[in-house]
Amino acid sequence: MLAYIVRRIFLTLPVMILVAVIVFLLLHLSPGDPAAIMAGDNATADQIAAIRAKLGFDEPLWKQFALWCWSLVRGDLGNSLFWGDPVLVLIGQRAEPTISLALTTIAFAVTVAVTLGVVAAANPGTWIDRGVMGFAVLGFSLPVFVVGYMLIFLFAIDLKWLPVQGYTRLSEGVGPWLRNLVLPSLALGMAYVALIARITRTTMLEVLSEDYIRTGKAKGVAARPLLLRHALKNAAVPIVTVIGIGVALLIGGVVITETVFNIPGIGRLVVDAIARRDYPIVQGVIMIFAGIYVLVNLLVDLSYTLFDPRIRY
Amino acid sequence: MAKIARRTLLKSSAAAAALAGAPSLARAQAHSSAARSIRAVFHGDVPTYDPIWTTANMAAYHGGMVYDTLFGIDDKGEAKPQMVNRYGYDAGNMTWTFELRPGLKWHDGTDVTSADIVPSIRRWAARDGGGQHMMERVRGIEAKDEKTFTIQLKERYGLVLDVLSKTSTPVCFMMRKREAETDPMQKIETVVGSGPFTLNLTETRPGTQYVYDRNPNYVPRAEAPSGISGGKVVKVDRVTFVNMPDGQTAVAALQAGEIDFYEIPQPDFMPQLESDRNIRIQVLNQLGQVGLIRPNFLHPPFDNVKARQALLHCVKQSDHMRATFGTSQYAKDSPSYFAMGTPMSNDANTGWYTGGQNFARSRALLAEMGYRGEEVLLMQATNIPYMSNSAQLLAQELRQGGFNVRLVAMDWSNVVQRRSVKAPPAQGGWNLFITSAGGTAVGHPILLAAHAATGDRGWFGWPQDEKHEQLRAQWAVGETLAERQRIAREIQTNAWNFVPQVYYGQWIQPAAMRSNIRNMLPVAEIIPWWNVEKG
Repeated sequence: MLAYIVRRIFLTLPVMILVAVIVFLLLHLSPGDPAAIMAGDNATADQIAAIRAKLGFDEPLWKQFALWCWSLVRGDLGNSLFWGDPVLVLIGQRAEPTISLALTTIAFAVTVAVTLGVVAAANPGTWIDRGVMGFAVLGFSLPVFVVGYMLIFLFAIDLKWLPVQGYTRLSEGVGPWLRNLVLPSLALGMAYVALIARITRTTMLEVLSEDYIRTGKAKGVAARPLLLRHALKNAAVPIVTVIGIGVALLIGGVVITETVFNIPGIGRLVVDAIARRDYPIVQGVIMIFAGIYVLVNLLVDLSYTLFDPRIRY
Repeated sequence: MAKIARRTLLKSSAAAAALAGAPSLARAQAHSSAARSIRAVFHGDVPTYDPIWTTANMAAYHGGMVYDTLFGIDDKGEAKPQMVNRYGYDAGNMTWTFELRPGLKWHDGTDVTSADIVPSIRRWAARDGGGQHMMERVRGIEAKDEKTFTIQLKERYGLVLDVLSKTSTPVCFMMRKREAETDPMQKIETVVGSGPFTLNLTETRPGTQYVYDRNPNYVPRAEAPSGISGGKVVKVDRVTFVNMPDGQTAVAALQAGEIDFYEIPQPDFMPQLESDRNIRIQVLNQLGQVGLIRPNFLHPPFDNVKARQALLHCVKQSDHMRATFGTSQYAKDSPSYFAMGTPMSNDANTGWYTGGQNFARSRALLAEMGYRGEEVLLMQATNIPYMSNSAQLLAQELRQGGFNVRLVAMDWSNVVQRRSVKAPPAQGGWNLFITSAGGTAVGHPILLAAHAATGDRGWFGWPQDEKHEQLRAQWAVGETLAERQRIAREIQTNAWNFVPQVYYGQWIQPAAMRSNIRNMLPVAEIIPWWNVEKG
């Protein structure tokens, strides 16, 4: 097992190098010039050229890439072109809201989706099943921002139960922290709920048609233990896989959700940085997101051993 | 049963009452603090703490909080002393002497001296078009003593106070000597000003919120506030600039009372905000913005004056304004080369406007110049709605006027990069782009970089016209308002002949605020947070 983990970690290195090359080239070869943006609307071409030289953007691309890679190896993601602050510090300042949003969304989505999926599978063809699947279609079809605005209008403007926007740090209390996360988690979690609920239902239906389930029923095992202890555990591997894949979906959704709910997280940081062509921030955030995604997939692979003893690494 | 002594009971009751009262007391204190604190959302994020290094308005908003200016314009547009106590000039107007007012302190507690002012002016002038215009005529700037400095001119120049007091960016903010001596091409990192607010770095989160606390050591002038001149008396403890990129969220937050001020609600939200009795609408910048269509003088067809005149005949400003602002009362046409509502605006040579949109005239002009359908590359900034709308409309107008147009969609960052490319459109250059500029600057022949017609040395589009430059130089030494207005008419007559740019309208964007926000000062380009009261 340990050897497998070490091997997998080493295998992530080429992936991360590839990500680094693609990110760097995409950013630097795509149109847009941070020096021109910094210089502002009244700047002349000479002023823009002077700023470009100050930032080192007049150096050959290979040299810029080499310098960036060398910094990466030393754990330095560089400094923001606009703020001058280290990218790691900026990401650190924005990490808590994003992690909070991601965790509450996953917790909400997995709880609701697995429950809905199991309930739908246990009642195939009934109005409950059709209702759950209808909800899943709706969850996929409605964009995050539409759900977000609808939730804001209903719960913040109309009913005044929850705040429109913002984020309260966990250190200021669990209550205020959660109050700010309820609506964004609901909005972001909708698509995730739909995805996991559908997979849970399908997998559960397959498992429920297995011989051992029929045997269990024949032996008089009660419906609930049969569903949760015998069927769900055996259906878990595809569900966990989808949850892992869904992390990528979540990362994309975080960017929009943070904008709609004005959450000062990493998503907002990277969107602002893209608009300004603040290369070090964009590169740094994408590298970190890529690393997280690789890590989550490793954890998902490792979790298979918990659900299926036949799987060994 | 144990007996409770009366004294014990009283003590316990008092303690219980105190305990019960404590939260409400804390709430009351928190409320009081919130009552003297303003949360404001603007059109964008503060891109840097250095308001000299960039022309971004948000940097100037930040600058207006922490830095002070030598002069400020009042509500009539006249320059009034701000950090300066007294000033004067010699008989020939060639040496200007300025004395700083007493009591000026930097936020670090040290005195503001002439040694800080001189490099501050120099650094600002290196980045500002108006400053450069002045410095071309300046022999030297010297600190005479701790509180006195002079500006010696090479030639007579009537715009010294205009450029020192202007609110168009970059504003001439004063900084400490150590920051002011920073290379103008490099931004400063330390924020120490002498303005009415200090930046609270502990609670500020770049990209998220910028917290400005009242500067308790600031000594305001005795005069009543007017424009950005007069006494900068701060009546709240704190102003927080909240970066909220989504307009719909900002409107919802304003309605829910989570923020106090929103600078630019989109036109579609105005009816919703106007009908909310907790919200007040106020126009802070009466001159607003002027939409600019910039032709590239370096390449066909706009290297030919007839093509530029054809462009002028194609554009119907009211249609452009309707495309973005609907039937809003806040948008209008600007037939004047100098923004409508400014002292220099006039009606000279506006036959192209009064005659109405004229595609036949456009096609005739193109035929006269021998236009053979060369492609016109129009850059469309799709992430800025008013620019994107106007670009689409302009493409249609130009096609009707006989041009062969290719609309190229990109984001604003890409436009900003590509507009500096002088190569032909097929090699990464361009023919037309759309932008906007503040009405104050457009109304001033010198302060707007786009008004220069100095060819290669000028602003994007690189128009060149000797007569235009001679007239601008004459205007700069004009002695009286009447004389300047006369020259402005000549500039405009000439401009609408050689067409350095075409306008697509002028609009103001009213701000929305909670109805308990009072006494905001209407100023163009900067939003002053002094004099403002909450409650």
